[in-house]
Amino acid sequence: MTNFARRDFLQKTGLLTGGLLLPNGLVEVFATAPTADKIKIGVIGCGDRGKGLLKILQELPDKFEVVALCDELPFRLRDAQKIESASKAKAYADYRALLDARAVEAVIIAVPLHLHFAVAKAALLAGKQVFLEKTMTYDIPQAQELVRLVQQHPNQTLQVGHQYRYSPLYYRVKEMIAQGYLGKVTQIDCRWDRNGSWRRPVPEPGLERQINWRMYREYSGGLAAELLSHQMDFINWAFDTHADEIMGTGGIDYYKDGRETYDNVQVMVRYAREGMIGNFGATCANARDGYLFKLKGTKGTISLLIDEGIYYPEKETLKQYGTVDGVTGATKITWNKEGGIPITTGAEPLKDGSWYALSDFYRAIKENKIPDSNVLTGARTACTVHLANQAIYNHTIEKWRPEYNFT
Amino acid sequence: MVSGLLPLLLLWLVSPAPLRAFHLSGYAQGTTYAITYYAPDSTVTKEQVTRQLTEIDASLSLYQPGSLINQFNQSRRGVVADRHLKVVSGAALQVYQATGGLFDTTVEPLVQAWGFGTQPAPPAAPAPATIRVLLARVGSDKLHLRGDSLVKDVPGVHLDLNGIAQGYTVDVLATLLERHRIRNYLVELGGEIRVRGRKWPGGERWRIGIERPDTSAFEAPALQQIICLAAGAVTTSGNYRKFRQVGALKNAHLINPKTGYPFQNEMISATVVARDALTADAYDNALMGMGLTRALLFLRQHSELQAYLIYQRPDGTAADTATPGFQRLLLNP
Repeated sequence: MTNFARRDFLQKTGLLTGGLLLPNGLVEVFATAPTADKIKIGVIGCGDRGKGLLKILQELPDKFEVVALCDELPFRLRDAQKIESASKAKAYADYRALLDARAVEAVIIAVPLHLHFAVAKAALLAGKQVFLEKTMTYDIPQAQELVRLVQQHPNQTLQVGHQYRYSPLYYRVKEMIAQGYLGKVTQIDCRWDRNGSWRRPVPEPGLERQINWRMYREYSGGLAAELLSHQMDFINWAFDTHADEIMGTGGIDYYKDGRETYDNVQVMVRYAREGMIGNFGATCANARDGYLFKLKGTKGTISLLIDEGIYYPEKETLKQYGTVDGVTGATKITWNKEGGIPITTGAEPLKDGSWYALSDFYRAIKENKIPDSNVLTGARTACTVHLANQAIYNHTIEKWRPEYNFT
Repeated sequence: MVSGLLPLLLLWLVSPAPLRAFHLSGYAQGTTYAITYYAPDSTVTKEQVTRQLTEIDASLSLYQPGSLINQFNQSRRGVVADRHLKVVSGAALQVYQATGGLFDTTVEPLVQAWGFGTQPAPPAAPAPATIRVLLARVGSDKLHLRGDSLVKDVPGVHLDLNGIAQGYTVDVLATLLERHRIRNYLVELGGEIRVRGRKWPGGERWRIGIERPDTSAFEAPALQQIICLAAGAVTTSGNYRKFRQVGALKNAHLINPKTGYPFQNEMISATVVARDALTADAYDNALMGMGLTRALLFLRQHSELQAYLIYQRPDGTAADTATPGFQRLLLNP
């Protein structure tokens, strides 16, 4: 999708923005109101993420019916159609044609980052409900404009794909923070490491930039946007806060293969109001830590994996246990070997975070509710990511500005 | 201080060699165990404990294919019982009588139907017709110890001793220590505890914390009460954390063997102190089923049991109450 000229693309959206001149009420007449119980959904972008979400939709047959698929690359469309949930979907090479289809009530946008804004804007103007993958937009001005656009379309839902906001585990962690399990949190460590090039196989050389868009700064915000944004968003949500000052560094330190985005980055964030420091790092040259997320407070630490969390009380918190020789309880706390307590979320095994996110997307549309991961929270995280990249690439210390609060 | 010194002196006089603390711990029956004992030497080893636990699993574990209890459940008439099955099912039948059928180890088919058993939970609550059919297979009156055998009147009778097997195991491990002339020990398995004697060298009584029930999924590390126990067992049964939401109803894992439906009463947890852990473990379950008023009445008639009950008031807040004997055990009443 990255191959189509951006200039041409901008002209096309220029035409569509004409819709903005219409009074709100009139625009909403064109909005496709969901009628039946199932929402007819189209997936724009059938790469790894788009296909991943199609598989999740397979588990939500009572909520969504996949009626349309779109990708510029024919092999991707063919692969996507093999997924059961999409077997009856109409295939499109051009997302604008998909948006013209009146049968499509909602869209999932899983295209490269630099296209997020344009496709989301077109979808909103076409009256669709929008599930937009993270990071919400490529840069800050786009985030600001998308906020304005969504505010002009109050009857349409725009949810951003920060799915951890929907995971019962991460929700429980947010609750535990509020309930004081951690005491005063001062440090947060986040990593998302791998030992691999982060490249996708390219069937023919001409498709390199389209398929490996993550490698090119024109299209991608690199590791910060694709990976660290999740943890940045979670901290904003869990502490109801935002970054105040961002420092960063990075380089192409191992994969000197023509890529432009860094394969090794580190960001330090000051959360001034909370008195917290966030450390966010990702490398493509070591997999030992993999996904790491630790919140450290005076009373304890929470160590999170994607679907697993453990609470480690500090020594002082444990003191009262030291005064007894045994503990009786109906459901004995099982301490793991490192002295931690697994965080549980009920009897049901945890599902993929996107399952919860898409279930909530359905609810947000049906009840016309603002999703937990909405355009405002998405914009704040997009600003954080963009400032982080500015700091990394320009060797600057970036400061938060009041206009990024989007209140 | 004076009261602490005398036993200490006695301990000193009767002990030929200075006592040392030994700690054994490990995994068993889906949970952990921990043993502390004082002896001149490591007279009881982890191997002995493991052997004992393996033997009990081979007899009483529903999770072990081919165990004696599984053989019993698959049989039409019953099996020849080993020592463990005989003792535990005998005790279970006694408590069944004493509680008017509220404690019943044959409730397993209903537990499975409600999704709290060893098999994956069904998607919905069982239909009334299903419950009626299952009730025909439930009831310890269909269960008899005859000679060396445990027999059943109906082939479909299934036994589940998980509710008391942990207490029994604690007793067996305590007996193992006693056989080696150990008189100062604490045995704990899955939160069921039995103690005797004092700690060395200070001569303090064993202190046992009672976990604060937290109705949220995650349990806060906090203790509601601390008791001091000279000899005996303490166990807890609770209605929190282990539940399934079916429709609007939050169903607890304790099922009423008479009606086939989960108990719906105000009890949150019951902690029982008794002479041995098997007894305590059986009655903590039964008290949960009785509800507060009946439980307190029952406890007045059974002075051999002391109990601490946490329950929910009509306004949703939690409250607690204890028998006078239990109050005397509290460290900070």
